[in-house]
Amino acid sequence: MSLPPNASATLKSGALKSGATVCGIADAAAFDAHAPDGHRPGDLLPGAKSVVVVGGAQPRAGDWAATSPWVLQTMGTTERIQSVGRKLAQYIESELGYYALYVPPGTASGDTPFLSFMLAAQLAGLGSRSLAGPVLNREHGFMYWSAVITTAPFEADAAEQAPACPAPPCREMWEREKTTPCLTICPASNGGCLEGKLEDGRAVRTFYDAARCNTRVHTHWIGGFQKVLEATLNEPDKDRRKMLLYGDFMTRTLWAITYSSTNIAQCFECMRVCPAAHGLKEMK
Amino acid sequence: MGIFKLDPEVYRRYKDQVLKLCNSFQRIDQPGLSDKQIAEQLGLDERTVTEIRCVAERDCYPLEEWEKAIEFKRKATLEWSALALKRPELKDK
Repeated sequence: MSLPPNASATLKSGALKSGATVCGIADAAAFDAHAPDGHRPGDLLPGAKSVVVVGGAQPRAGDWAATSPWVLQTMGTTERIQSVGRKLAQYIESELGYYALYVPPGTASGDTPFLSFMLAAQLAGLGSRSLAGPVLNREHGFMYWSAVITTAPFEADAAEQAPACPAPPCREMWEREKTTPCLTICPASNGGCLEGKLEDGRAVRTFYDAARCNTRVHTHWIGGFQKVLEATLNEPDKDRRKMLLYGDFMTRTLWAITYSSTNIAQCFECMRVCPAAHGLKEMK
Repeated sequence: MGIFKLDPEVYRRYKDQVLKLCNSFQRIDQPGLSDKQIAEQLGLDERTVTEIRCVAERDCYPLEEWEKAIEFKRKATLEWSALALKRPELKDK
């Protein structure tokens, strides 16, 4: 059984109609050169031929400009783009008759994902990795991703040639100050997560503290819950235990992890200041 | 029976090496290894490495770092709002 003519174009069109901002297809074999054994499409779905990636659900200008960090923390969620991924998986199986595995957005173990969505987006030609880390699309900037691994041999897209990062204002800043907005807001040398440089006009990340980034991206999430729970169990005084459990940190964390309010990615500061992520659009 | 429990002594012995080899601290030209690759390098089984990594990822920083994250985000958000909305007074809100 082979794919009908224009299967890739039809799939992409359906993805956009379902709410994706962008859709691309990566060759499953292309992961071999980048992802370690155990983290490739064929490890999850033997016989995988393609990985379909959709991106979208990016924050709006009002979200970026909000005075409270809890606005983006609450509005920034992968859930909206996940529903598009699930629809594509359903379409591939029901309409085309190929296996389609919707890649779960959670983790396979600890903080390690089943499959790197960022690598998938890069290989599908939807963007390139920024100095700060997230993959940025040249036209739309920062967005959320979802992916479907399939045995369907879709036509693969080429990787993006010209990266969105570094943006022209960042190149100018580097020339002047030997730093960039993302390196300035979150420097590893001063309590942050990032180190890097621009070399021959390209961004080169030289250090990234994922563990510290996790305390910022998932402040009121699994890690924060574990930390407060540990502190509570170690606290001998029952009144002090109550302060920990009933306080704002634990309460907000429980709102988040029980999905009473959607809270997934919770730190946006490297992206907030990034000219390529959303721009400083003039709004009325 | 029960769930797989890591021996704290094994954790203490290998924590730093596992953190150095995994993706938790990324350096240029030094991609993080998978648990399987780390296990081969340290002569451990993969499940043990996975447990060491999971505990170490959470153990890297004390609870105070989460509080610092809150303050960092409050300050950075207001600074950006002041710039984006051209309202410099927001910076000191």
